[in-house]
Amino acid sequence: MTLRVLIVEDDREIRALMQSSLSVEGFEVQTAVTLSEASAMLRHRPPDVVVLDLGLPDGDGVDLVREVRQQHTLPIIVVSARHQEVQKIKLLDAGADDYLTKPFSVAELLARIRVAMRHRGTVLSAAIKKHQLDDLQVDLETYEVQSKGEVLHLTPTEFKLLARLVRSAGRVVTHRQLLMDVWGAEFTEHTHYLRLYMAQLRAKIERDPSEPRHLLTETGVGYRLAVN
Amino acid sequence: MNTTASQWNQNPPIKNWLYMGTLLVVATATCYLLEPHVTLTSQAMIYVLAIVIAAYKLDWVSSSVGAVGAVTALNFFFVPPRWTFEIESQEHFIALGVMLVVALVISHLSSSLRRETEIAKLNEHRARQLQELSSSLAEIDVPERIFALGKRALDEAFAGPNNLFLTNESYQYASENGIPKNVQDGLQCCITEAAALGPGTGRWPGLNAWYIPLGDKTAMLGAACVQPALAQDHAGREHAQALCALLAQALLRLRLTANVQLAQSEAQRQQLQSTFLAAISHDLRTPLTAIVGAASSLQTQHDKLSLNEQQRLLESIVSEASYLSTLTENTMQFVSLTNSPQQIKRDWESMEEIVGAVLSRMRLRDVNRRIKSKVAKDLPLVKADSVLLAQLVSNLLDNALKYSTDSIDLIVQSNPTHLTLAVKDRGPGISETAQKHMFKPYTRSDQSGQRGAGLGLALCKAIAQAHGGELTFNTRKSGGSQFMLILPVEKQPPTKEMP
Repeated sequence: MTLRVLIVEDDREIRALMQSSLSVEGFEVQTAVTLSEASAMLRHRPPDVVVLDLGLPDGDGVDLVREVRQQHTLPIIVVSARHQEVQKIKLLDAGADDYLTKPFSVAELLARIRVAMRHRGTVLSAAIKKHQLDDLQVDLETYEVQSKGEVLHLTPTEFKLLARLVRSAGRVVTHRQLLMDVWGAEFTEHTHYLRLYMAQLRAKIERDPSEPRHLLTETGVGYRLAVN
Repeated sequence: MNTTASQWNQNPPIKNWLYMGTLLVVATATCYLLEPHVTLTSQAMIYVLAIVIAAYKLDWVSSSVGAVGAVTALNFFFVPPRWTFEIESQEHFIALGVMLVVALVISHLSSSLRRETEIAKLNEHRARQLQELSSSLAEIDVPERIFALGKRALDEAFAGPNNLFLTNESYQYASENGIPKNVQDGLQCCITEAAALGPGTGRWPGLNAWYIPLGDKTAMLGAACVQPALAQDHAGREHAQALCALLAQALLRLRLTANVQLAQSEAQRQQLQSTFLAAISHDLRTPLTAIVGAASSLQTQHDKLSLNEQQRLLESIVSEASYLSTLTENTMQFVSLTNSPQQIKRDWESMEEIVGAVLSRMRLRDVNRRIKSKVAKDLPLVKADSVLLAQLVSNLLDNALKYSTDSIDLIVQSNPTHLTLAVKDRGPGISETAQKHMFKPYTRSDQSGQRGAGLGLALCKAIAQAHGGELTFNTRKSGGSQFMLILPVEKQPPTKEMP
């Protein structure tokens, strides 16, 4: 079955570029120029993944993300320019799955779509129970974490933090989402918790914590557990 | 100090009468005591002395009444027949008459003299006040101080209540608070008409105060309300106007200075902007030329190019385009940071994480792993904008990669007060002339023929300063350059209750 991608982008050149490079990879590509057009297409025939540009002429996209989230679990990838940092985080917090910063390469776009598709239908469930990359193995059911061939002893909070990242492996998880899911709604401003626990986790998991292989930092946005 | 024009006109009359009465009583008592030893003529002289003293001290009316009183007292107490108002001899009658006339003349002369002395004193005092005000105004450069000085000068010279009001777009702090409504109206009217109002000015003589404008029609800077105002007190009004003229002059001087400064900084800004645009467009044009060249070559000569050449052109397009992207990023960040440095979004950040994120991006270009990082364990968190710090570190590493060919050390350390991040290379170093300009925007060291991000170091410095830190440079003894970011370590966030 061919996967269908909806590209919402108002710039003609970028739209055409994404359309052609995704078509070459075997996707069926639909395009929309405005949010209202995109929303109509979503209602008519939902695609498998949405690539949503920020700064569209008719709104900031938050409503679209919420609308999609109410009915579908299909992945949404936000495409933003560097100066749209705040808006990007707003969309990620609202339920968008990942982001790409302009300018991006076709390879990056495809990688993001691939990761997003892997999580299709698993946004809220704990469907991903196991994670393995290089020397790191995490089993969420047995609460077992192995690294460098040894079983690691994580504190409950460290494990919760790692588990949250494993469930979204390969995708960015915002600071807010992590604080909310690991510590609770009243701690969403306590970013220093994250910094300290992430340092502890890295010290246990990473070979070189200052150049992490697994627990990647998305500066100013959140963290991502590497999948390749 | 409070020698006002109206004071001597308004001495409480009851006090004058008491003074006069006391003088007469003293004179009478003296005459009585001296009676066995002196003649009536000497007694008359004692009364005349009393009248002279009275005339010098009191106003003309009181001293004239006093003169009549003295003659009457002399007649009653000493001129035979004594203890009556009758006059026995014609000689005594003439003598008393002459004495009365003399007393009146003396009292008139002395009070004129006294009045003139007082006017002279008052004028001198006013002249001194004007001179003092003028010299203290010369040193002032804020309208608030001019306002305070002006108000004090008016209160010193006039009993008041006096009011001062400054109008000027820049002095909106104004002084309207506490000014009664009717006075506000008068001040407003005075400002609109740009002329003095009140008694003796020919405009609104019915007012009980003078309203004096600060400035003229071309530059209206405010107005003052001065009380008491008497139509005949020309000197007082002139003094008030002179004070106001001084204040207006000082305010005008400030306004003109401000205008000149504004014009200068605007000119400077425009100059900077055009230098900026020239530098940016130069920086943009070079990579754009390379991109257009490579792309058009692929487009038109595609068939003639070997696969290797095609690959090389494609790589050039990608690398030039990513250079353009960095350049744009730096420029935008620099502009927004210099326009509003206070708007950066600071949170608790880990330098280890920031460095890690930058390195993971850098390694794509640093395939030989020339960058050797040494990050101390247990670094304190810094209150920072992580995106900006990442850009700073990334720019420093970028430059080091470009300007040197050997390995590069990235060292992050901390002590209780500061966190430092050093980037050391073994490149050719930076010449002393280039060092002078390297942190200024739009300059770059051209010696290597390499392109740097034109604004890179200026942006790094601006980022460091926006975080209350510093970015320093020094040449290493072993050759090469060292850039060091020094950030203050703030009190760490509480973690005790951390679950």
